[in-house]
Amino acid sequence: MATIHDEIDTWLAADLHGELSDKEQNALHAHLVDCSVCRKTHQETKAMNKILEETLAQEKPDPIFEQRILADFRSRVPQRNGLVKLFVDLMRLRATQIAAVVAVLLGLVQIGRMITGESVTAPHERYVGEQFAAHQSQVPASRAAPSGALAKSGEVAAGRPEGLALKEPAPPAPAQPEDEGRGRAEVERTIVTGSAIPTVAEEEAQTAAQEPAAGVGNRKLIRNATVELEIVSFDNALEKITAFANEERGYIATTDSEKQANGKLRGQVAVKVLPENLDRFLQKIRGLGELKNQTLGTEDVTKAYFDTDARLKNAHVMEQRLIDMMKTKTGKVSDLLQVEKELGRVREEIEKMQGELKYWDSQVQFATVTISLAEKDMQEPAAFLLKERAQLSLYTPDVEKIYNEAKGLASPKVQITNAQLNRDYSGRVSAQLSMLIAPEESDAVIARVKGFGRVENFQTQTQRTAQDGSGMSENARTKRDKVELNVTVSREEQEQAFQQTSLRIRTSSVDDKTKELRALTEKQGGRVRSSTFSRDPNGREVANVSLRVAMKHYAALMQSLDSLGKVENVSVQRQDRGNAQIDESNAPADISIQVYSHGNIVTEESGLVATLRRTVAQSAGAIMWSLRMIGVAVAFLAPWTIAVVGIVWITRRAMRAKR
Amino acid sequence: MGRLGFRSTQMDPSEREQYRAAIHGDREAFEMIIRTHSRPLFAIAYGILQNRQEAEDVVQDSLVKAWKTRWRVRDPEKFPAWLATIARHRAHDVFRKRRTVPLSQQVTEPIEPEQASTSALDHRLHSALAALPELHRAALTLRYFEEMDYRTIENTLGLTNGALRGILGRALASLRKQLRPAAASMD
Repeated sequence: MATIHDEIDTWLAADLHGELSDKEQNALHAHLVDCSVCRKTHQETKAMNKILEETLAQEKPDPIFEQRILADFRSRVPQRNGLVKLFVDLMRLRATQIAAVVAVLLGLVQIGRMITGESVTAPHERYVGEQFAAHQSQVPASRAAPSGALAKSGEVAAGRPEGLALKEPAPPAPAQPEDEGRGRAEVERTIVTGSAIPTVAEEEAQTAAQEPAAGVGNRKLIRNATVELEIVSFDNALEKITAFANEERGYIATTDSEKQANGKLRGQVAVKVLPENLDRFLQKIRGLGELKNQTLGTEDVTKAYFDTDARLKNAHVMEQRLIDMMKTKTGKVSDLLQVEKELGRVREEIEKMQGELKYWDSQVQFATVTISLAEKDMQEPAAFLLKERAQLSLYTPDVEKIYNEAKGLASPKVQITNAQLNRDYSGRVSAQLSMLIAPEESDAVIARVKGFGRVENFQTQTQRTAQDGSGMSENARTKRDKVELNVTVSREEQEQAFQQTSLRIRTSSVDDKTKELRALTEKQGGRVRSSTFSRDPNGREVANVSLRVAMKHYAALMQSLDSLGKVENVSVQRQDRGNAQIDESNAPADISIQVYSHGNIVTEESGLVATLRRTVAQSAGAIMWSLRMIGVAVAFLAPWTIAVVGIVWITRRAMRAKR
Repeated sequence: MGRLGFRSTQMDPSEREQYRAAIHGDREAFEMIIRTHSRPLFAIAYGILQNRQEAEDVVQDSLVKAWKTRWRVRDPEKFPAWLATIARHRAHDVFRKRRTVPLSQQVTEPIEPEQASTSALDHRLHSALAALPELHRAALTLRYFEEMDYRTIENTLGLTNGALRGILGRALASLRKQLRPAAASMD
């Protein structure tokens, strides 16, 4: 805290200028009484104040200073007249400025819209305008065309003006026909094509129309239909169809049927009925079963029929003339023979044509209905085949022996389809066998194979396949097929452990305990698969022992491990395999054991000196790191600082230069 | 310097209204401000330039400029300080020109007789004043020309009470020390 003494100048000045409060004044005076130095300063300051008051008072502006300034200001800033002033003042208001900006913007937008709007709508308008113009120019042209043509062809089309008047959309006609002839042709053409009123052309058409009308009664139409039906019983359906055919005065032309493997019948029936009864007949047979498909066709053979008929008549005439020729002419034998030959040819032709006509008559007389019948559940299978497939994995100490034994099973009822023995470069042996076994022998053979070794993963699969069809059937027989058996034989070691256990045993004498562990394992019928031993510089010894034992001995072995030392970190992992049938008591269990001892409590790395050394190294690293970061920061900031300073400097210089 | 007490720098409402009107273009209000503020402005300019004619020109220029750019002021309370700033900048410009342009001979020449006529003490006072920082000079001139109270000076120069007290105190002390022999001789 600064005292009055320390800040005496400030206090004295404020005092002289009358700016101290009463309390402050008292405090100051109290101090001045005490402090001689400050008293002296006080005197001097008072003198200084006086000098200043006197000296500077001389420099004071004269009394009319304000007037002068004001007059100068008025001369330099002329007063604006009312309106301009109002406007300028208004423009200075923030709200007015915003409003003005908004108005200008809106104006610009409006102008922009007008400009762009013009460029968008203008072509459209122009287009509409053109269309309109085109329409207008078209109207007089199209009007002129027919009227001009009318005038020109007055004599030709006389009496039928209403025809032209009715003909509404004039086909594109040249507005000015070049010559009279062409104009006339044009008009005639239009009259014919537009014929809505009786004309010469129409009369022709009428005669043409009468022709078919006259022949309607004689039309030769062949009608036939095909129907596909699904029925319950073929025989039953056939009976009914026969009955229907009789009712409709028809008959069964042909039937054929065949029996499927599953005892179902399928067949076709051709029925002839009178054409006029065809529709009714079809209605009736539809009731027999489920309609799958139906087609109805009509063939018109009128033309061919009458052609043939005409030719037949001619042939008859020809025949008659030839006969007459034979009767009257008694010329050369060769001529007679010629006539005879010709007669034969003509008669043959006549017969052929007569046969054709008869065929057509019969076809026309009766309509043919082809009915395809199929009994329901046509797809039902006739029999089922039961296929069994078994597969198993065997684990055994001696693969080759088992392989040979399995091969020895071969007999007429047991076929070995595939047998292979694999030995890879690392000496691992495995064998694969596939066999087909007669159904009655299968259980016995599979049981024997299972006896060869430890079975794992025995799987059977049974498949029932339908023969000749699909789906279910109550009546179909089921037959057992040969059983297929696939056997994989591998050595025991290759088998994946059923259960894996890992644990640690802490003890002081690792080597001895490891030996003990081996002994224990052998006692329980297990095998040591691998074993390692290591010692590190700190005197820590570690032995890793991996062993395998049957599941039935697992518990006993684990129990006995307690005698070796302190058992720690026991973790058990088991992978249950789906579907697999596992002989659990014989399944192998892997146990990996780490036997270890503590070495020196304090390792070399954690000694006092080492720690100190590390600490120093780390702190040195930290310092270096921070130094680096500072460098980075400087590199980041320096260019910007330089740039900013430069810009400020240049700006200042520029401003000064302007002044 | 809270120890020296705090005085409110709140502005008189009518004064405030006057500034507001001037900012919004009320010419009469602005002329009233010219009447009341041209002397402080003169004091500031004089503080910098130590020349009456130049200081008066500066005041005139500053007022015209202030009128033209009055809309820049948002807060009417800051109007006096803003005026003072304009005057100071203008005075600085003039001062700088005087220094850089050799033509200054003509400008300074009429001053010479004036100074010559004054006493030796005056001369020394002026040179001592010239040696002070500009803000100190401005504060001194406002105080001694216009006999302004501290509050008005604060408003004009945009200072706090403590800062102004310090400035005036140091300025007086500085002058005192420089003029001690002269003062003694006067006594």
